[in-house]
Amino acid sequence: MNTTFQKINSLPVSTWGWLGVNGTDVPAEIPEIVPCKKENKIVRVPDSVKLFSGVLPVPELETALGTDAADFVQDHWNCGITAVVPAGTRPEQPIFLSYHMDESNPAIVDRNTLVAEEGSEVTVVMSYLSKEGVSGFHSGLTRLFAGKNAVIHLVQVQLLGDTCVNFDNIGAVTQENGAVDIVQVEFGAKSSYAGCKTRLLGKGSRMDYNTIYFGDQDRSLDMNVVAEHAGQKTNSEISASGALLDESSKIFRGTIDFLRGAKQAVGHESEYSLLFSPKVRSRTAPLILCGEENVEGQHAATTGKIDENKLFYLMSRGLDELAAKKLVIEAQFRPATEKIPDDALRRAVSEFVEKRLNKIESLSQ
Amino acid sequence: MSLLEIKNLRVSADDKAILKGINLSVGQGEIHVLMGPNGGGKSTLVNTVMGHPQYRVDEGSIVFDGKDITREPTNERAKAGLFLSFQNPEEVPGVTLENFMRTSRTAITGKPVKLFAYQKDLKGKMEELGMDGEYASRYLNVGFSGGEKKKSEILQMLMLNPKLAILDETDSGLDVDAVKIVSQGVEKFKNRDNSLLVITHNTKILEYLNVDYVHVLMDGKIVKTGPRSLIDQINEAGFQQLAAAAAG
Amino acid sequence: MRDTGVRKTYVEDIDRSIYDVKDKVNASFQVEKGLTAKIVNEIAIKKNDPEWMRLFRLKSLQVYNRLPMPSWGPSLDGLDMEQIITYIRPDTRMSAKWTEVPDDIKNTFERLGIPKAERDYLSGVGAQYDSEVVYHNLREEVSRQGVIYTDMESAIHDPVYGPMVKKHFMKLVPPEDHKFVALHGAVWSGGSFVYVPPGVNVEVPLQSYFRLNAPGAGQFEHTLIIVGAGASLHFIEGCSAPKYNVANLHAGCVELYVGENAHLRYSTVENWSKNMYNLNTKRALVEKGASMEWVSGSFGSHVSYLYPMSILKGEKARMEFTGITFAGKGQSLDTGMKVVHAAPYTYSNISTKSISKDGGNCTYRSSVKILPDAHDCKSSVSCESLMLDDRSRSDTIPVTDIQNDNVDIGHEAKIGRISDDAIFYLMSRGLSEEDAKAMIVTGFAEPIAKELPMEYAVEMNNLIRLEMEGSIG
Repeated sequence: MNTTFQKINSLPVSTWGWLGVNGTDVPAEIPEIVPCKKENKIVRVPDSVKLFSGVLPVPELETALGTDAADFVQDHWNCGITAVVPAGTRPEQPIFLSYHMDESNPAIVDRNTLVAEEGSEVTVVMSYLSKEGVSGFHSGLTRLFAGKNAVIHLVQVQLLGDTCVNFDNIGAVTQENGAVDIVQVEFGAKSSYAGCKTRLLGKGSRMDYNTIYFGDQDRSLDMNVVAEHAGQKTNSEISASGALLDESSKIFRGTIDFLRGAKQAVGHESEYSLLFSPKVRSRTAPLILCGEENVEGQHAATTGKIDENKLFYLMSRGLDELAAKKLVIEAQFRPATEKIPDDALRRAVSEFVEKRLNKIESLSQ
Repeated sequence: MSLLEIKNLRVSADDKAILKGINLSVGQGEIHVLMGPNGGGKSTLVNTVMGHPQYRVDEGSIVFDGKDITREPTNERAKAGLFLSFQNPEEVPGVTLENFMRTSRTAITGKPVKLFAYQKDLKGKMEELGMDGEYASRYLNVGFSGGEKKKSEILQMLMLNPKLAILDETDSGLDVDAVKIVSQGVEKFKNRDNSLLVITHNTKILEYLNVDYVHVLMDGKIVKTGPRSLIDQINEAGFQQLAAAAAG
Repeated sequence: MRDTGVRKTYVEDIDRSIYDVKDKVNASFQVEKGLTAKIVNEIAIKKNDPEWMRLFRLKSLQVYNRLPMPSWGPSLDGLDMEQIITYIRPDTRMSAKWTEVPDDIKNTFERLGIPKAERDYLSGVGAQYDSEVVYHNLREEVSRQGVIYTDMESAIHDPVYGPMVKKHFMKLVPPEDHKFVALHGAVWSGGSFVYVPPGVNVEVPLQSYFRLNAPGAGQFEHTLIIVGAGASLHFIEGCSAPKYNVANLHAGCVELYVGENAHLRYSTVENWSKNMYNLNTKRALVEKGASMEWVSGSFGSHVSYLYPMSILKGEKARMEFTGITFAGKGQSLDTGMKVVHAAPYTYSNISTKSISKDGGNCTYRSSVKILPDAHDCKSSVSCESLMLDDRSRSDTIPVTDIQNDNVDIGHEAKIGRISDDAIFYLMSRGLSEEDAKAMIVTGFAEPIAKELPMEYAVEMNNLIRLEMEGSIG
């Protein structure tokens, strides 16, 4: 099947078209979508979490990648869960979902809906992997509903191979004092579109969003994060951090949107990207939209080579340049990888980067 | 008659009660010291006296120089002769210290300031405090070190010459030399007519001052009042024991 | 915040009486409303254009008709090109003596302080009234240095500078760039031509002032400045218009060529009336070792789209941009800047501030682009926005596009309101709440104001003062 996804990762407010950041039409060649086989997925759900096989009536929700990407998943999904965490429950174990693509199952289209009822707290870990050489296609839609005083921790790890295309689409809404705490690890795929839009609806609710990305060869990454502050005293922290090598490229869009009435809301956004090759391309669009006086919004970004002083310091302690650079890259990822609550997955993430760093020549330039 | 008369003052912030019935009276020419553990309400008290919008007066009154100022805007209190040296003075970009002090002095005296005399006065006082003259043209407190900010507060006190100066930990975070300069500045300010209310954790700043009363403020209440010698008791016994003794 | 009895009275508007005096429209010629090939031809003939220019206008019109309206930015719905008079010639000829300028026009410029400024601190002045320049003069000692400062029409017909104009005219900003610059190419009229020969340092600034008097009219002046290698110049541009109930349009174009190791400072204070659509395009080409400084104050107009662009073409070229935007009632001011680092060791530094008040909308929009071969570049952006009430808006839309790794790029943005603690601090030193707020806002604008020409800085502070008085809570 061939299709073109319209306006993927649109900026909430457009700017000059020639910058190429307003949103992208993405043509995609989609392999046959067959029901997801048992051997291609691992699903572990704690007992206290209720699973629904039918349709759970949930409100409409905007997502970062946009309606075209979301509708596609609604029409074609072949895996995913619909789960409710009952009020007051705090399962110790995370909900664990892992998908692995191979020749017999090259398309993963997962639809996930998670409702955390009042006062509950849950962690969800999702990972996407592929067998080497498979032209895989992943398109996911994850919708999070954090109820009053409820907390959802979501960790998404994407380690797909170089011949895969990836769409990770998240939409969330938070009620009073509810929170979503999201980690997106974007390390794989030939081209990847990822993002998260959170509507901070209830008073005192918050979003923490933390992404780490890694680009090498000619891979491209396209990201969009939106914190929409509707409620009073809402809080958002967006942090993006990554490394680009070889001829890789990335677009990072981060928007803090203070709607009128979001009194005493606070939004912070920071981006730190390290560049390691003269052929990389790094585009950043950090927006702050503000229709309310009584707010505090801040953004800071730095882009460039590794800090010479830092490099000098590490080398003065005996590390060679390559080792020092690897250390800096790994250190940059650590605050996010430490949030992965599964040892095996955390190891897989480190090994994935390690393997790629070992291959890389541009680092030693 | 007292210069400052606080009666049964109850104050809350964010709906949380902080001061639970304070009575305090500062007479003309007197020096009072306010001590107590962190979080006990010392800064709340002095900020309320100055009219900080964050604090709500639920009950009680503050009378200054014969006038009830409990509901007065902050600038009217300043005009009446109150001065607060801030623990963490605000940075105000784009406004030079010199221009600010001139505006402030004009607002407080209600009379236009004579430029030449004012500049001379400012320069002289800055010298006394060991401040580089260059600070006059710097933006107010912007990029000042902790010590420089405190000196800038004392400079403002000297320039505005209030009836009652309240020093909120003006000596904290200063090195030995700076404490000395600041204390000398305070000593210079003090005369028979004006009064001081000093919040401090250490006694260095009091060395050159004739302290009349010491108050211990804990958990929103003044638990003990005594002469200067109370400071030594506090240093030996600590606040908790003192409070227990007072309660017992 | 505790209720200190803050008055929520709003001042009607700032005192614009100086700008708002309307002269009776006394045109010797004007075209019909709207935009057709016939009108464009008529302008070319009336202006006695050389043939290349007439053809250029017609080509630009075709581009205009082809290009879409912008798909971003504030609404242009209130702008109907069918209703705009694109060319309106005042009933006078250009003169080098104020005494020869008709009284009503002269009085207008007197009120704006232009002749006085010329006497006090300028090397030369150009004054445009509607579509044509009515006054242009350059001090003799500057003229003796070989500096040319004249109206565009004279330059085009000059045997020496005519070819220079032809070589540079709309080469840096081609009509294809966007719809309103194509419109400019079709109907432009007036503006200034400046040439500073290599090595000449013009110590005292030149100033062009643009006044649009006629209701429903458009002003499309073209400014072309060529600063030779090692030369330096400070150019000031001022604009204003009285307020009408119909839309007026300003679509000027500024092209600046800054030669090797040259220095150009371009200061603008834009104070158009609040019925103006200000869709202006400015661009500088900065050669090796040269530096370009922009200082920009945007206070007027109903809608503005304004993003001065610098192309750092030669190694070690530098650009500094300092801007302030103040949007009040009924205003949507979309301002910012663009920079392209096209050569190694280039440097840019951008610092902007905006204030939104009384329902006004400020948008900061920018693009910092580093091309693949432009290694060892440095760029830093800082933008701060102040919101004075909750009916206003302030948006920040910056984009960076970095195409090599050997760069050092920093960006920071902040948005918020005046802090209660800062107000309290100032009030504790005797200032009233209003004075405290005014002082904080003035201080916020100060780093930019001090870069503006002196009399504009004073005017800006008065303006803030007036806007703030008793107005906010």
